[in-house]
Amino acid sequence: MMNRLLPTVSLCIGMILPASVIQAAVDYETEIKPLLRQHCISCHGVAKQEAELRLDAGVLILEGGSKPVVIPGNSEESELFQRISSGDKSVRMPPEGSPLTTREIELLKNWIEAGAVFPAEEVFSRSPHEHWAFQPISNPELPEINCNEWSQNPIDRFVYAKYQAEGIEPSDRASSSVLLRRVHLDLTGLPPTIQEQDQFAEKADLNKVISELLSRPEYGERWARHWLDVVRYADTNGYERDAEKPFVWRYRDYAIKSLNDDKPFDQFVLEQLAGDELPDRTLETMIATGYLRLGHWADEPADPKTDRYDQLDDIISTTGQAFLGLTIGCARCHDHKFEPISSKDYYSFLAVFNPLERPREGRTEKTVNFEGTEVYAWNETSPAPNPTFLLKRGSPSNLGEQVEPAVPGVLVDQQPEFPSAGDETCRRRLGLANWMISQENPLTARVIVNRVWQQHFGEGIVSTANDFGVMGAAPSNPELLDWLSYWFIHDADWSLKKLHALMLSSRSWQSLKSPTSINRYRRLEVEAIRDSMLFVSGSLNPKRFGPGVKPPIPLAAIEANTDKGSVWQVSEPEETMRRSIYVLIKRGLIVPMFESLDLADTVSSCPKRQITTIAPQALTMFNGQLTQQLASSFAERLRAEAGSDPARQIQLAWQLSLSHHPSDSELEQMTQFLEKESLEELCRVIFNLNEFYYPE
Amino acid sequence: MWNKPPFPAPPQEAAPSLPRRGFFQSVAAGLNGAALTYLLGHDLYAAEDSQAHHHPRAKSVIHLFMNGGPSQMDLFDPKPELDRHHGEAYFDKIAGEVEFPDKAGALMRSPFKFAQHGQSGMWVSDVMPHLATQVDKMTMIRSMHTTNLTHEPALYKFHSGTEFTGHPSLGSWVSYGLGSENENLPAYVVLDDPLGLPVNGINNWQSGFLPAEYQGTRFRATGSPVLNLNRGYVQPDAVSDYERDLIGRLDQAFAARRSHLPQLKSRIGTYELASRMQLEAAEALDLSQETEAMFQLYGIDHPETESYGRRCLIARRLIERGVRFVQLFINSQIWDNHDAIATTLAAACRRTDKPTAGLLQDLEQRGLLDSTLVIWGGEMGRLPIAQLPADKNESNAGRDHNKNAMVAWLAGGGVKSGFVYGETDELGLSAVENRVSVTDFHATLLHLLGLHHEELFITRNGLKDKLTGVNEAQVIREIFG
Repeated sequence: MMNRLLPTVSLCIGMILPASVIQAAVDYETEIKPLLRQHCISCHGVAKQEAELRLDAGVLILEGGSKPVVIPGNSEESELFQRISSGDKSVRMPPEGSPLTTREIELLKNWIEAGAVFPAEEVFSRSPHEHWAFQPISNPELPEINCNEWSQNPIDRFVYAKYQAEGIEPSDRASSSVLLRRVHLDLTGLPPTIQEQDQFAEKADLNKVISELLSRPEYGERWARHWLDVVRYADTNGYERDAEKPFVWRYRDYAIKSLNDDKPFDQFVLEQLAGDELPDRTLETMIATGYLRLGHWADEPADPKTDRYDQLDDIISTTGQAFLGLTIGCARCHDHKFEPISSKDYYSFLAVFNPLERPREGRTEKTVNFEGTEVYAWNETSPAPNPTFLLKRGSPSNLGEQVEPAVPGVLVDQQPEFPSAGDETCRRRLGLANWMISQENPLTARVIVNRVWQQHFGEGIVSTANDFGVMGAAPSNPELLDWLSYWFIHDADWSLKKLHALMLSSRSWQSLKSPTSINRYRRLEVEAIRDSMLFVSGSLNPKRFGPGVKPPIPLAAIEANTDKGSVWQVSEPEETMRRSIYVLIKRGLIVPMFESLDLADTVSSCPKRQITTIAPQALTMFNGQLTQQLASSFAERLRAEAGSDPARQIQLAWQLSLSHHPSDSELEQMTQFLEKESLEELCRVIFNLNEFYYPE
Repeated sequence: MWNKPPFPAPPQEAAPSLPRRGFFQSVAAGLNGAALTYLLGHDLYAAEDSQAHHHPRAKSVIHLFMNGGPSQMDLFDPKPELDRHHGEAYFDKIAGEVEFPDKAGALMRSPFKFAQHGQSGMWVSDVMPHLATQVDKMTMIRSMHTTNLTHEPALYKFHSGTEFTGHPSLGSWVSYGLGSENENLPAYVVLDDPLGLPVNGINNWQSGFLPAEYQGTRFRATGSPVLNLNRGYVQPDAVSDYERDLIGRLDQAFAARRSHLPQLKSRIGTYELASRMQLEAAEALDLSQETEAMFQLYGIDHPETESYGRRCLIARRLIERGVRFVQLFINSQIWDNHDAIATTLAAACRRTDKPTAGLLQDLEQRGLLDSTLVIWGGEMGRLPIAQLPADKNESNAGRDHNKNAMVAWLAGGGVKSGFVYGETDELGLSAVENRVSVTDFHATLLHLLGLHHEELFITRNGLKDKLTGVNEAQVIREIFG
């Protein structure tokens, strides 16, 4: 159909109509598609096809349903136009809700009259089963390219081939000082030391640095935080009393250790979902299941029945997004409007988690005791759980059919076999987790590979990191994503460290960031900003693990609290100098600096940090106590290490904080500044620079 | 045809010769707010067709957003027919418009008593006793409707014109178009609730594809609204100025080498604004300068209204000082009264009624109401039938979502006083007369501010993006005073 119709149509228009008319023509992508999406595709889309008609892609619109609905060039004869513009309510589309506005009707009419043109390369799936992300991961051939510099790393071949296809000139490789800073911040969240800079200046062996950084404990402290974003980690329950979750920090420490041990990602998934159901379970795998209990809830819910389903929904939604990149949660009250996920899929998925119980006594959270250690986890106490029912319209009082544990039907030809019940639990989560990491599931590997890519390159291959569904963004380089995912499973054995090393050793990642390069500028996360300040000022307390710490916050932040005396008991001074991942995240009182600089949402899974740029950030960083304190420490350090010579102090300050020597102009401006002002003030200037926030 | 504009016509000779299409592009390239206000004022007036002058009737907006979908037939749109048909089955006729069909009950009369108020005789129910005294300042639109009966998309629709995330919010478009009148404060300030964020969180005030400086600046909800306004250390101003100057110079140089990164420029702008805020924000936010009488007027002296009243008073102080757009949010969705509407709606009113009425009175007393447009409303309305709880006990019934009828009111800023516009059907199910879509509402709001919805755009990938998008938009001139 597409081949037959489209080129002719667009060719005709190009030849016959004067240029001005073409310019005035309706644009399919920006004007037609959005209105069809708004009014039509919940019934005529990939998830549901009333009258066998789909209106979510140009080709499909022209194909029509049982009969054609659009006759290019003739709106009057086109049923689509007739139905949306009809005055007869029994005929008019959409059948419910507001009719299209006259402007929308006119747009559609003009579009049809102009030949119903749409881009030939429009991407769509014939059936939800055909959606790209639901297909098995392929193992694409490496593109042959004729450039040696871009042939060494498989990633580069895909990237370069795409550059060539799009006529993009790749940007140059960044300088070694830029790369050293980039790799340090990227993997550890801290800039390189002077010694490291000197060594690298002598011999710039980037691959050696990469593998050395990956072996440092600071790597886990940086990258576990990215994972905590995805699993909406917090140390408290939220709501009115916002009680601390006892020992929840063991889960945070588990994430750090797992990354540092390079635990295979499939094992990491398995442990978090079903660590208690593993035949060889250990304290570690028990702690991992703390994942299931990270959500927020009221300790005295008004409606306990609904509250129970709210908590399960929170687990399902997070699990769907975190591991599968699917918005399963939307199918709670009715079949998903845009994704091929039914309510039955939702409740079958819920049946996997339904046997869980949250240990508590009244309002007080209880832990599970495992071999003498308090573990913050849910509990499953019976191998034969109560049945799970579909809730019609999401209402706990309106039970539908009984459902059995299952994974969303669209992802599998045949449901995975769930293991038989164990001695203590029904082992449904184990069944789910085993399927998630199996070759039958096309999503888990793609989703994590894309997350890692997003963090290194600033933008994911799929830009919607939590949504690989039909409504998610299409991959910008599908072959690359598949190659990486296949490689990650088969060659890297799910090793994240190997994945990092592959990405960072690519020429693509080592390019200068330019408007067209594949790696993008992104502001550092607040944790990396704060940790870098602690580090370069010589104040960082490297102590690892344990309960969350409470750094000082401005009194004005809590002056209105009724419990201002007890709500935030500041930790011992040396404790407050620890890395940001150890700072307590209290849902009702986020440390103001973290809140201002866009900490991840603590209520639902965060696929990517939002970046706001507002004046209160500048106030925090310029006027705030922490900057002042660390600027003093930094100045002290400079005096101790560089002596009293201003030029040497500036040199050292620049190298420590920005990992390069100051330019002549920078040196001159700084020297002038120091003639009048103190070194402390110079240090505050540095902690506020664009360059400190937006690494090259 | 319309009443005289409140402001004198600007001098025509000052109209810039910029081609209109390119005008906003040059704005995006970095004219500051003050220059913008000047240019815009002239450009847009000059461009208005021969039909009428088009001066800004309002300079600023206070948007009291009522998340959850306040029930029109229990607040401002009395339906005697509902009393008459109370208890009759109606569900079959509206099955497609109900989010929770299994909970759908029969037609349900309002549990509240309505009375006429003021000179205008506008109807208000007895849950809003304070606001009822202010009806002669208001234009009540009873015929609003929206496009989606689910909160998230309906919120995006109301705040950004589309049902999806990623588009600039109302306040962003307005501050993009008009800048701030006070360079010492952000143009667009958000005052959210200490008890928590609304649904869709901070996406409600995002700047989308407009530059970052147009996003809502969220003042903190607990404690002091802006922290660190004063330095946490002792230092002469001149020293700080020198420091900031140096940061600015170094940042400019850094940004100049990366001109494709507008966020670097925006970030420099935040330091400039932050420094200017120090001069004025503390004073603007210092409620200790207000009298006891003022605290009583806003209900700050009473625990139930303390929080909302405080934010209303801060809103007034910000508007007074030239902030363009102040938006108030309430935590979660207190107007989403699925259950026990007789008590839950009354509770929502108790939190907000007195402060809102106090705000209108105060604005008028200070002569600010003429130039300030106050907007009240949520993202949807509610159904005339009952939504029953599990035990089917009618005394605990609420109402389900309704996208075909919702209510909003405006006050001040050049709209009529004591005026009711539009009607719903006899049961309050659908807007039937003088229907006002969300898009119409947006276009009307922009018009009141002197902006034309077709002319307020940014060019992206060769296409014009507007608040009203591809939707047909009608400016509702009938409500102009």
